[in-house]
Amino acid sequence: MAEQPDLSVHLGRGLRLRSPVMVASGTFGYGFDAPLVDRTALGAIVTKGTTPRAREGNAPTRIAETPSGMLNAIGLQNPGVDHVARIYAPMWAAWDVPVIVNVAGDAVDDYVGVARRLDGVAGVAGLELNISCPNIANGLQFGIDPRPAAQLTTAVRAVTRLPLLVKLTPNVTDIVAVGRAVEDAGGDRRSSPAAGVVAGKRWTQWAGDQATRAACGVAAVCCTQHPGCRHRRDHDGGRRPGVLAGRRGGGPAGNRELRAAAGRPRGPGRDRKLPRRARS
Amino acid sequence: MSLALKPAVVLERSTPMSGAVELVVHHPPAAAALRPGQFFQLAVAAPQTILRRPYSAAWADPDSGRIGFIFNVVGAGSGWLAVRHEGHELDLLGPLGRGFDLDGSKPAIIVAGGLGVAVFPGVVGALVARGRQVTVLLGARTSAQLLPSGRFPGAEVMTATDDGTAGYQGSVVDLMPVALGRFPPPQGEGRGGGPEIFACGPTPMMQALLEKSRRLGVPLGLIQVSLETPMGCGVGTCLGCAIARPGDGYLLTCLDGPCVRADRIDWSRTADAFHG
Repeated sequence: MAEQPDLSVHLGRGLRLRSPVMVASGTFGYGFDAPLVDRTALGAIVTKGTTPRAREGNAPTRIAETPSGMLNAIGLQNPGVDHVARIYAPMWAAWDVPVIVNVAGDAVDDYVGVARRLDGVAGVAGLELNISCPNIANGLQFGIDPRPAAQLTTAVRAVTRLPLLVKLTPNVTDIVAVGRAVEDAGGDRRSSPAAGVVAGKRWTQWAGDQATRAACGVAAVCCTQHPGCRHRRDHDGGRRPGVLAGRRGGGPAGNRELRAAAGRPRGPGRDRKLPRRARS
Repeated sequence: MSLALKPAVVLERSTPMSGAVELVVHHPPAAAALRPGQFFQLAVAAPQTILRRPYSAAWADPDSGRIGFIFNVVGAGSGWLAVRHEGHELDLLGPLGRGFDLDGSKPAIIVAGGLGVAVFPGVVGALVARGRQVTVLLGARTSAQLLPSGRFPGAEVMTATDDGTAGYQGSVVDLMPVALGRFPPPQGEGRGGGPEIFACGPTPMMQALLEKSRRLGVPLGLIQVSLETPMGCGVGTCLGCAIARPGDGYLLTCLDGPCVRADRIDWSRTADAFHG
């Protein structure tokens, strides 16, 4: 057998991963779901975004397939930090893969509260600050400007001894400035930028337009029922479609886009010859 | 959770009714594990698709290890599935989710609209095998799109078509009073008295069925439905297949369903996922 290369990575404050491969927040739940992946093959598990109190998440539709992946707008559905600390963490403590909790919130106090609650909890190997969620109102407010990003990092750093990762958003003009700011403020590492979610929504917007246009048939009906329909422009005196434009980070609006896209969960320009889904 | 991870082998492909495809695959462990109403996540190799596709099994035979799927072609995934033939391998994950609760002794009324019928051959077989009296109400746009009544041995089948080419002309839901009229009425709320209803179909049919049930005094707790929502992972991780429950919050079709009692869903907050 060939010699195994050493892929281990040290993230600071004693957090050493056996490989740099981590699952992105939201793709692996809290690690308890169907045993389809060998957990020990991972460098670390990053959990679903966790908030001070339980959140029910966004109204459906929440997902849309693209030719190369899946867009989602789940809306931070999670059981709340107390449940995570009391129920999940003790089970993680017995695992031989570190678990990093993704921390989310609407305000600095939310992040600080979650971090404080998890400090010293066995089974929690580190924290990842989610300042890049496009799927809730104000989800990007800390991520797009170096100063609030740094202030948030400083505030969380003050209440936890855990390794602290900060998940940046790529949807900024200068990601280096935000990254430097959070590192100077005490973040141990900048973690995976949110993989093009917001940028991806532009595609969803396109798909949504296609879906609503394809679905409506009669323009007058469509214009009241399908906000993304381009017919609206014809009937509204040239105004731009109202809902989809300018709501890139918009929680419920984001879900309207997905709802539209999910009606025809296919990529651009494909399948035109296949029959539409039967209506009865 | 027991998950079939080895590929199944396609044994047959046929056309059970106009516009639909039936694939029969061989996978003894999955066929033995399946409870009527559960689904599988089928991997499709169509270009530019990435997610598995959820399909309820139409039926399974543990003795021969065979599982049937009935579907129509609506997109890239089902288009790819529709051209599988004998000898092809099919990567399936499952059985997943909750099937129908078939316990009890009440007479059963099946309400199936369009492709919603795809989940019922196995369900009806299991109900009949339990000695329950079964009436199947089948609805489609036209007679050619009805699954033949021979697929429901031991059950009485009544049909409705939009164009009147077979059976009653109109909605399958309109047949409910006739079917229900043969039995003593339900005894108020709860699950006592009256027959039990099992339903699957497009959301407008489901909404009509629930409205009709309210008017006929059938408690929602006596109705089980098989849900259809957009779905990502199928195993509870992605939280993508949420469906509103009464009060706040959501169930997941993949874990809490696809088969649930109708009183567990907030239908007023449940849009037609596929038809706008």
